[in-house]
This record gives sequence, C-alpha cells and structure tokens, in this order.
Amino acid sequence: MKSKVGKLCCYVFAIIWGLITIFPLYITFLSSVKDNQGINLGMFKLPVKWLWSNYTAAFNSAHIGQAVINSISLGIMSTVIVTAVGMLAAYVLSRKRFKLKSIIYSLFLVGVMVPVHCTIIPISSLATGIGGRNSYWFLTLVYAAFNLSQAIFLFTGYLNEVNKELDEAAIIDGCNDFQLLFRVLTPVSLPIISTQAILTFVYGYGELIFAMILLSDERKYTISRAMLSFSGGYQQQLGPIFACIIFAVLPMIILYVLFHEKVQSGMLSGAVKG
Amino acid sequence: MLFKEKERIFLRHRKVNEKIIIVTFLMPALVLFFGLIVYPVCNTVFLSFHSWKGVYGAAKDFVGLNNYGKVLSSESFWNAMLNSVYFMIGGFVILMPLAFGLALLITSRLKGTKLMKTAFFMPVMLSTTAVALMWVYILNPSYGAANTILRAMGLDALCREWLSTPTLNVWCVVLVNEWMYAGYNMLIFAAGLVAIPDSLYEAAEIDGCSRWKKIRYISIPLSKESFKIFSVLCVTGCLKAFDLIWAMTKGGPNHTSETPATLLYNEAFTFKSFGKSSAIGVVLLVMGVVLSLLMNRLFKKEEI
Repeated sequence: MKSKVGKLCCYVFAIIWGLITIFPLYITFLSSVKDNQGINLGMFKLPVKWLWSNYTAAFNSAHIGQAVINSISLGIMSTVIVTAVGMLAAYVLSRKRFKLKSIIYSLFLVGVMVPVHCTIIPISSLATGIGGRNSYWFLTLVYAAFNLSQAIFLFTGYLNEVNKELDEAAIIDGCNDFQLLFRVLTPVSLPIISTQAILTFVYGYGELIFAMILLSDERKYTISRAMLSFSGGYQQQLGPIFACIIFAVLPMIILYVLFHEKVQSGMLSGAVKG
Repeated sequence: MLFKEKERIFLRHRKVNEKIIIVTFLMPALVLFFGLIVYPVCNTVFLSFHSWKGVYGAAKDFVGLNNYGKVLSSESFWNAMLNSVYFMIGGFVILMPLAFGLALLITSRLKGTKLMKTAFFMPVMLSTTAVALMWVYILNPSYGAANTILRAMGLDALCREWLSTPTLNVWCVVLVNEWMYAGYNMLIFAAGLVAIPDSLYEAAEIDGCSRWKKIRYISIPLSKESFKIFSVLCVTGCLKAFDLIWAMTKGGPNHTSETPATLLYNEAFTFKSFGKSSAIGVVLLVMGVVLSLLMNRLFKKEEI
C-alpha cells in the first residue's frame, strides 16, 4: 500500500515536470497561429482562427529561413572541420611515439577549461586584421577551435581502445598513414565521431556571443543572432515572432527526435570530461 | 654489407617520413588551437594591463594594475558577481535536488522511464535565444502566460513586471536556466546512479530499509562523483552565464541584471574600454580555475 502511494507520487512528479517542460513550447506554438488579439485574449486558449499565414510572414519579413540555413551550414562546416582536424591529431597522439606527445596532449586538455569570454576581444581584433568579419570561414574556424580540445580528448581516448593489431594488418596490406587513418580507423571510430559531431553541431547552431561580435550583416545572421532583434518587443505583429521561434527550434527538435539516444550519450560524454 | 646499408637508408627514410607525418597531422589542430585559443588568452592578459579604446592599430598605453583596480572597486562588477552568486545558489538549491530527483525517477523501475528521459532532456537542445525568447513572452506583464495563470488562480497580487523588477529579473533568468538544464544534469546524475550495483539495494532491502533510507544511505553517498561533476560545471557555468541573461534582459534595466560576462561584453563593445573588459576576463579565468580546483579539493577531503 505504502509503496503504491510512493509510486503514484513519482508519477505525479514526472507528469508535472513533463508538463513544465512542454509548456513553453506549447504556448509558443499556439501563439504562432494567432493574431495579436488572440494572444491578448490569453496565451492558453486555442486560436479562434488558425493563422498559418504567420509562418509565411515570418519567412518573408524576418529572413528567418535564411537564418536557419545559415545556422545549419555553420553547424555542418564546424562539424566537418572538427572531425577532420581532430581525427588527424588524435591519430598521431594515439599511434605515434615522439618527444612532445604528452605535453601536446595535456595542452589540448587545458584548452577545455578556457572560458570563451576571455578571448572575445583578441578574436574580434584578429577578425578585423585578417578580414574575418561577416565571413563564415572565420566563424567556422572559431567554433572549430573551441570544440577541438574536447574532440581530440574523445577521439584519442577512443583510438587508444582500438586494437593495434588492426593497424598492423593494414600496414602489412600496404596501407600508408592516410589510408590507415581514413580507410581503417575512421570507420571503426564512427560511434565517437557521431557523438562529437552532434555536440559540435548543436554548439555551432546555437552559438551566440561570437555571432554577435563577428556578424553585422543582417543577411548573414545566424538564428540566435537574428532572434535577438525580437526581444526589444516593439514589433507590431507578435504572431510571426512566435512562428520564427518555432522555425528556430524545429531543426533541433527533429535532430533530437531522430537521434535522441545518441544525443543524450553525446552530451553526457561532453560533461564528464570536465 | 650492401644490404645493411640499404636497410639503414630505408630506416632513416622511414624515420624522416614518420616525422613529416606527425608534424603535418598535428599542424592543423595546433594552428587552430594556438591561433584562436592560446594567443587570444595571452593577448587578453596583455590587454588587461593596458589602456586601449579598441581602434584597430592604435597605441596601447601601459597602465599597470589600473584596470584591475577600476574593475574591483566598481559597484557594477560586484553587482554582477552577486548576480552570478544568485545563479550558483539557484544551481545548488533548486537545480541539484531537481536534477537528482529526476535522475532517480528515470533510473527507477517505473514504466515509461525512456519517454520521461527523452522529454526531460529536450530543452537543452533548443538554442538558448529561442528558449529565452519563449520565456520573455511568457513573462510579459500584459499578455504573458505567467500573469494570466496567476490571475486565473485569483492571485492578482502576485502579478509582477517579471523582467523589469531588479533582483526578481535575475531570479527569473535563474529559473529559466534551471528549466533548461534540469534534464542535462539529470543525465549526469543518472549515469552515476546506473553504475551503483543492484546488489547493494537488494542487501538494503533484506535489512528492511525503506525507499527513502536507500536513497539517503546508498544513492546519495555513491553518487559523489556525479555531485563533483555537477558542482564544477555549475560553478564554472554560472561564472560564464551570458546567453540567457543577454537574450532575456540585456543586463538591464539600468544594469541591475548584469552578470560578469555581460559586463565584460558591454565594457568592450558598448563602452570600448577594452582594457577594463580584459581585466574582467582575466578575473573570470582565474576565478574559474581556482573554483574548479577548490571543488575538486573539497570532494577529495570528504573521502578521507
């Protein structure tokens, strides 16, 4: 009897937190298909008329589609760079022997601790110096740099666990280092690569502070940067703003629904290194 | 003889080759790392001793510890520190118990734990500004859902201008922060809980322990590693709090809800005092390192 009450309490707690989790999204969605009057009537009420035109308005006026595409491409580019550069470094750090190896490895580890904010001024001047303002290649490199430490840490750890007999077999078959890394070891490391890829992508998609500093051209705004301009709250029509929010979170929700196990384990391995 | 000579040349050749491989494979990572992390950090330290108005190529005057003096004696800096202390208090008083409770839930033998886990974790995935914006509108004093709910419950007296009342606005952001990261920290605790062997719980059950006692004497003490990870992440994360507060209040009204990171940003890109801003950056960096070492030490001491 007692344990039944306990169980019930647990379920109630779970349901309440679940509702709290879903609640903002639900409200946002409802508001995204209302006009101002409908929103003023109460955010909870179902809309009297479903105004899907808010979505087209969001698309046309706020360049939100462009911003989503910008964010996604930044996420993808940083992911590609982090993966490639990280795998190259991790391969050397796990398979070769040389003098400075442990120093270089621990250097990368320390890099995880550096707070982003300590670097914004020099990075901003650097961008001015080499023409990196409003350009994605520079932003991509910045994102990659801040994800690299962790990638190298995870990749090296994983490669160390991969049996070295695999290398020997490949070398006997005449593989050089490039082939060994890209034909043999990369496919074997796909689990950890996908984990890191998700981490980097999520970071690149939502990153705010560098996007604020380095991007001033509205057409190049990422989704985080683009949405900042709404928080002033002087807009006439609220509905399209909510539609924009929905657009912004949609790619992430899709990614999450598709790969939630992977995302969860990935985020976790990102935390435990600290 | 000839054969040995050939072998030696071959080996030397290989060694050179090996070195080339090592250097070329490491080079991209090192360039990125030194160019965009090590150099900027050193440059920030350098700038923190100089006065510079941010004009590209303009002279930087050495001013010694002046910037640090100005920062540490300014009221706004300590106000910002106080706000990040609020973030920490919120983290340890609200987020930690909540996340641990959720972790107990999803590792229990209840039905639907997988669904719970998936649902609870989701907020972390949404980008911070989107989350911030959602809550800004929910907390809007005139049509926001927060005040609507309060009015519906007859608690009109509790309705507030959530994001423009000093201190209250910081706590609102703190709570949104907890909303966003509860699921994430839940996973950290859950990873620790899963690692506790079932046999311990079974033994406790035989000894007649209640559910609460099992949590108190097995789950919590054996999750020490998770608590350590949480503490380090929480403290360093709170020092760095930027995105949410920026997107929700921009540090305002009248700088009441600044955190050190927004202050740093404002000093640099609004007031163009790059030296002062760099000094804040260095203070943050040092504090982050000191606090994480302190946390590690704290948890080690308890072990003995």
